[in-house]
Amino acid sequence: MSLSKNASADGKTLTIQIRGKFDFNLVQSFRQAYAEVGEQTEKVVIDLRETDYMDSSALGMLLNMKKTLGDSIGSIHISNCRPQLKKILQISRFDKKFDID
Amino acid sequence: MRILVVDDQPLNCTLLKAMLEQQSYHVEVANDGRQALDVLQSTDIDIVLLDVMMPVMDGFEAAPKIKQLAGDVYLPVIFITALEDHASFEKCLAVGGDDFIHKPFDRIILSAKIKAHARTRKLSQEAHLQKKQLEYHYNQTEREHEIVEHIFSNALSQQVTFPHHCDFHLSPASMFNGDMFLMAQSPMGGFYCLLGDFTGHGLAAAVGALPASRVFYTMVNKGMAVNDIAFELNNVLYSLLPGHMFCAAAIVELSESGKSISAWLGGLPDCYLIDQEGLLLRTLESQHMALGILDEDEFERNLIHLEVKPDQRLVMATDGIIETESQQGEMFGEALLKTVLSSTPLITTSDIIDKVHTFSEHGEQQDDLSIAIINCIASEAHRLEKPIYSSLPFNFSMSLNANQMKGTDPILELVDVLSQVEGINEHRSNIFLLLSEAYNNSLDHGVLGLDSEIKNQEDGFFEFYQLRERALANLSDALIIISARYCPDSLCLYFSICDSGNGFRNKQSSSTELLREYGRGLSLLTEIAQSIKYNHAGNEVEMVYSLQ
Repeated sequence: MSLSKNASADGKTLTIQIRGKFDFNLVQSFRQAYAEVGEQTEKVVIDLRETDYMDSSALGMLLNMKKTLGDSIGSIHISNCRPQLKKILQISRFDKKFDID
Repeated sequence: MRILVVDDQPLNCTLLKAMLEQQSYHVEVANDGRQALDVLQSTDIDIVLLDVMMPVMDGFEAAPKIKQLAGDVYLPVIFITALEDHASFEKCLAVGGDDFIHKPFDRIILSAKIKAHARTRKLSQEAHLQKKQLEYHYNQTEREHEIVEHIFSNALSQQVTFPHHCDFHLSPASMFNGDMFLMAQSPMGGFYCLLGDFTGHGLAAAVGALPASRVFYTMVNKGMAVNDIAFELNNVLYSLLPGHMFCAAAIVELSESGKSISAWLGGLPDCYLIDQEGLLLRTLESQHMALGILDEDEFERNLIHLEVKPDQRLVMATDGIIETESQQGEMFGEALLKTVLSSTPLITTSDIIDKVHTFSEHGEQQDDLSIAIINCIASEAHRLEKPIYSSLPFNFSMSLNANQMKGTDPILELVDVLSQVEGINEHRSNIFLLLSEAYNNSLDHGVLGLDSEIKNQEDGFFEFYQLRERALANLSDALIIISARYCPDSLCLYFSICDSGNGFRNKQSSSTELLREYGRGLSLLTEIAQSIKYNHAGNEVEMVYSLQ
């Protein structure tokens, strides 16, 4: 379980990648990861390609992020989900608030 | 040193033999050309002293045959002659003679001439030996190249091609010239490709391709991010290649939906995003140093992210194309490449290569011409194979005390164990979610007695987990029992989680209350599980999960 973040070369995209398990154990580091979103950031990508597991606390953390960042950024993408995680996000109607790719 | 004396007059033979043996040479004697050839075939001879007039086969006839027999190594043929006229000398030389010695024999001249020719023969022998060694090594190298080329073409050959996703061209010999192009699809459906250009040419340049391709295929198979792949490739090449060698590369991932591209670009010429007509939409410049130069700490992982549409195409090429020269020494250049891209709608790589060849007027190819065009389309849906389920039933349970609740992540371990059972691994995310929600309910609300109402307050989410941490640290007496049972007939997993708490909602048990209380978690559970049932006290939950 770990979290890493990366700004794109042009600084417009912030990618937060979560490995293994996405749950409340990441609550602090996840908050820190998007705390530094600057003015030039237009898009945040939550990359779940290496995420095996997530629970409702992860959903809560995503919603909190959405609330915190609000309209200051253009869009939040949740990308590269494994099929089951994608389904969890769909069941929770996350596709209404996030761009799920 | 062995000398063959060929003369039909016994006196001459005896005389010469005596003179030469006195100077420690071995001497063989033949009485005519035919005999001389017989001796040469059975004995190693270093110098031939050849009389002109002889029965059976005279010296003029024998000389060319002797030379032929000697092959590549210089075998001196010295004519013994009483003739004095120029015409005879000329004829001696014309048939292959190397020198003359006159009758009667002068001991000093004979000795000097034999020594001189012996030296020349020795040099020739050495040269011949070296030539043979060279030939051997050359053949050896050729053979090894063939073997390596075979291994490389097998290792790098595309097991799978993606004709809809990608059109590419690599020069036929390019594998050995240091260009490589790899493509693969991740389990999630993302399309990945790598265009690489190793410095230099030949075997050395190709050596890095083998480990690089292994890393690429392995990591794509795990669905890793492009910058992680670049990082790993860089580490492998950095440790493997000598300091002056590196690999310029573009690594690109097109997401399963075909809507976004992530690219790590290091050291290759600009990539172009174009539309169907070839109109340039965006130029992507290389951001990084080539792979294999920077060490782990210096390596830069920044990516370029692009949102793309299905009619858009990404063009990438190694420097061979823009650096192709015309007969007048002009370079093909980026400007012409852009013009060519827009010259035909839906241009193909072979169209582009044709234009490059026309430009160079079909001159000798200077560098590899490698180019790839990626179509930004969605991946075709995966066809899932029919899953196989274990036919063995099992059940087990674990009882956790307070210390075990503090220090471990029992659900993760439990799911890891369950994932080993055939057919369950595919469901591990769902099973984790079910168990994790139920376990955390038991722990947070049953055992720790926390109120999740806090989560709904401003900043309450974070506060809740701080409270939880504190309560968990102080926990002493508690028990949670998790049981799991698998039934192969119903293809269902039956879970129960029971805690030593007071029951989370034994006072009010209306379902709407439950829903509000457990909010998102519970509604998710009801969607994923086949059934969920709490006991009356609210300290035990039973869940059924169907694998079908």
